[in-house]
Amino acid sequence: MHDRKKRLFLTLLAIAMAIGVIVHPFNLFRVNAQSAVGKEELVMITSPDYPPYEFYDTTGGERKIVGFDVDIANTIARELGFKLKIQESDFNGLIPGLQAGRADFVMAGMTPTPERKKNVDFSIVYYEAKDTIVAIKGSNLKKPADLKGKNVGVQLGSIQDQNAKAIAKKVPIQIKQLNKVPDIIQEIRAKRIEAAIIEDTIAQGFIQSNPDLEYAIIPSEEQSGSAIAFPKGSKLAEPFNKVLYRMKGSNELETLAKQWFSKNTTALAAQKAPAETPKKGGLNINFGRLSLDDYLFILKGIPTTLLFTLSSVFLGLIAATGLSLLKISRFRPLQWIANAYTSVFRGTPLLLQLSLIYYAIPQLFGFDITPLQAGVTTFTLNSGAYMSETIRAGIQAVDKGQSEASMSLGVPYPMMMMDVILPQALKNILPALVNETVSLLKDSSLVSTVGVVETLRASQIVGANKYIYFEPLLTAGLLYYLMVMGLTSAASTLERRLKRSE
Amino acid sequence: MNDVVLRTESLYKSFGSLEVLKGISTELRKGEVVAVLGPSGCGKSTLLRCMNLLEKPTKGRLYFGDQDMTDPKINISKIRQKVGMVFQHFHLFPHMTVLENVTYAPIKVNKVHSSEAKEAGMELLGKVGLAEKANVYPSKLSGGQKQRVAIARALAMNPEVILFDEPTSALDPEMVQEVLEVMKALAQSGMTMAIVTHEMGFARDVSDRVWFLNQGILEEDSPPVEFFSRPKCDRAQQFLERMLK
Repeated sequence: MHDRKKRLFLTLLAIAMAIGVIVHPFNLFRVNAQSAVGKEELVMITSPDYPPYEFYDTTGGERKIVGFDVDIANTIARELGFKLKIQESDFNGLIPGLQAGRADFVMAGMTPTPERKKNVDFSIVYYEAKDTIVAIKGSNLKKPADLKGKNVGVQLGSIQDQNAKAIAKKVPIQIKQLNKVPDIIQEIRAKRIEAAIIEDTIAQGFIQSNPDLEYAIIPSEEQSGSAIAFPKGSKLAEPFNKVLYRMKGSNELETLAKQWFSKNTTALAAQKAPAETPKKGGLNINFGRLSLDDYLFILKGIPTTLLFTLSSVFLGLIAATGLSLLKISRFRPLQWIANAYTSVFRGTPLLLQLSLIYYAIPQLFGFDITPLQAGVTTFTLNSGAYMSETIRAGIQAVDKGQSEASMSLGVPYPMMMMDVILPQALKNILPALVNETVSLLKDSSLVSTVGVVETLRASQIVGANKYIYFEPLLTAGLLYYLMVMGLTSAASTLERRLKRSE
Repeated sequence: MNDVVLRTESLYKSFGSLEVLKGISTELRKGEVVAVLGPSGCGKSTLLRCMNLLEKPTKGRLYFGDQDMTDPKINISKIRQKVGMVFQHFHLFPHMTVLENVTYAPIKVNKVHSSEAKEAGMELLGKVGLAEKANVYPSKLSGGQKQRVAIARALAMNPEVILFDEPTSALDPEMVQEVLEVMKALAQSGMTMAIVTHEMGFARDVSDRVWFLNQGILEEDSPPVEFFSRPKCDRAQQFLERMLK
C-alpha cells in the first residue's frame, strides 16, 4: 500500500474507531475488521467429517454443515458484521486452500503446531481436547509406553499425527496415516493396526457405536487445543481474538462446548442400534442403522456424479477429437504437441492433476475455480488424452477409400471429417468410449478429495456422522453399480441403432 | 484446344524409388471415351488417380481445361467437383442410405436445396435402375448395385468428366454386364470418360480411343479399331493375345 493511502486508511480507521467506541463496543471490531479486509463476506474452509466440531447435518436429506466450530464462526462473523460462507475440503487440503486464497480462515479443530505456524497465523486456542488411545476391547493400552512395537493409526495431517510422531521418538511405534477417522476405526476392527490416537470427544462417539472398542485418555503432555488459522499476515486475527476472549470471559464457549459435545453423545445414545455386542469375526452389517434421511443424503450425490461424468465425457470427447486430428495431421509440430500433451496426462496420476489444477489455478491466474469446475477441467483434460488415442486409431481404421471417395466428390477436408470419417470412426470405437465413460464415472469419486459432495463423499459423510462404515459404503457401491448398468444399457441401445446401416 | 477437358504434360510419378509414370503426355477431349489398357503394374490406375490429384504427380503438369492443377494455389476441391471418379471397390458411404450417398455432395458442397437434390438424386437412381433402393443402406446391395449407385453419386455433381478405375474388377461375373450397360448408356449420352478396364469387348465397342500403357510409358494412343486389329508395338500385341485368348 502506498504511504498516502495508508495514511488515509489510518485516519479513516481512527475516525471509525472513535465513532465505534461511542456507538457500541462491538461496532469497534466491525468497522475495524470490515475495512481491514475490504469485503463483507468471509469464507471459512473446513473438513466436515469431524463431529461434533464440524459435520453434515443430514436431517431431511439436507446438506448443511453444522457443529461446534460452525457455531463459533457464526458468532464471530455476526459480531464483526460479516456474512459467513462455508467451504469444505479434505483436512490436509485446508492449509493449501487458505494459501491459495480460497478462504479467509480455517476452523477444523486445528491445533496450532510450530510447523503449521510457519505457514499460517493462528488465533488463541478456543478449545482444548485430550488425546486418547483407541483399541479393541481388552487390549489394555493405557499410555504411550504401552504402544511399544505396535501399529498406530492417526488421521493424516491432524494434531494426533504430530503427537504420535512425538511419541514415536520415545517409544518405537509404526504410524499409519489415514485420511479419515472412520477409516482408522475400521483398520482397528480389521486388526491391521492395534491402536489409534484420536481426540477424546471424537473417540467417545465411535466407542458408543462400536462396543467392541475401548479408549483411554492419554495423560496430558502435549497439548492439542484448537485454534483458528488465517493466511500469514491476515488482518482478521486480531478482531477474531477479541471476540474469542469475550466468548471465553462470558462462558459462551464453555456453554457451546457442553452443548455440542453432550448433544453428540446423547444423539448417539438415542440411536438404539449398537446395543447388542457384535459377533466375533462378522462384519456386523445392519442397514437399519441408517435413517431414511441418510439414504436421501447419499442419493442426492447421484446428480452431482452424473453431471460431473457426463460433462467430462462430453467435453473430453471434443478435446480428444481435436487432439486426434492434430495427431493425424501432416504438420509435424502439431503431432509433437498432441503427443507431448497425451504423454503428460497419461503419465501422471489423475489425483495429482486434480490437486494441482484445484490449488494452483487461483494462485496462477487469480480467479477462483469451484471444486466441480476444477474436477470437470481435470477430467476433461485427462480423458481427452486417453480418448484421443482411441479416436486416432478409429479414424485410421476407416477405409482409405472413404476419404478418397469424399475427395473425388470435391468435399473439403473439415466437412469430410465431420460427415464421413468421424461418424464411422465413432461407431467403431463406441465400445471403447463406453469403457472410458464407465471408468470416468467411477473415478469421479476422486473429486471428493477437493470437497465435491458426490455419491461416495456423501456416503462417507453419513458414515462419519453415524460412526458407521460399511453400510454407507455398500449403499454407494450399489448406486455406482446401478449407474454403470444404466450407462452400458443406454450405450448398447445406441450401438444397435448405429448398426442399422449394416 | 477449347474442347480439351484434361491434359497431361510429361507427367511423372514415383513411389519412393519406384518410378511408376515416366513422362505421360496426352489429352482427353470433351465427349470422348478413352479405354486405358495395359498389363498389371503398368501405371494405368496411377495415371487415372493423378488426373484428380488423389496421387500427387512427382513432376510434370496437369491441366483441367486451362487451369493448372499442379499449381499449389489452386483450390483442388473445386476442380474435383467437376472430375468424378468411380472406384473398383465402390467406396459408398456405409452410414448413409443410397439416396443420401447420391445427394450428400450436392447438398453439402454445392449447397443445392435438399428437396431439389433429392429429386435429382431419384432421377439419377432411376437412370441406373435403382430407384426402389433409394432408402436402403449400401450393405443391403449387391456389388453391381453398389457400383451403379457409385456412378449415380459421381453423376450427381454434374461432372465434366468421370474417371473409372477398374469399375467391374471387383464384381461377380454375372454382375459385370449391368454395370457395363449403365456405362455404355452414359457414353452414348456424350459424357467424357476415362476407363481403366480389363473388359476388352467393352473397350472395343464403346471407346473412342485406346491408351495402351506399358511400364509407365504411353506406348499407343489410337482408335480401338486400329488398336485391336493392328497394334503397333510388340508389347501391345502380346497383351492382346493373352487377353483375347
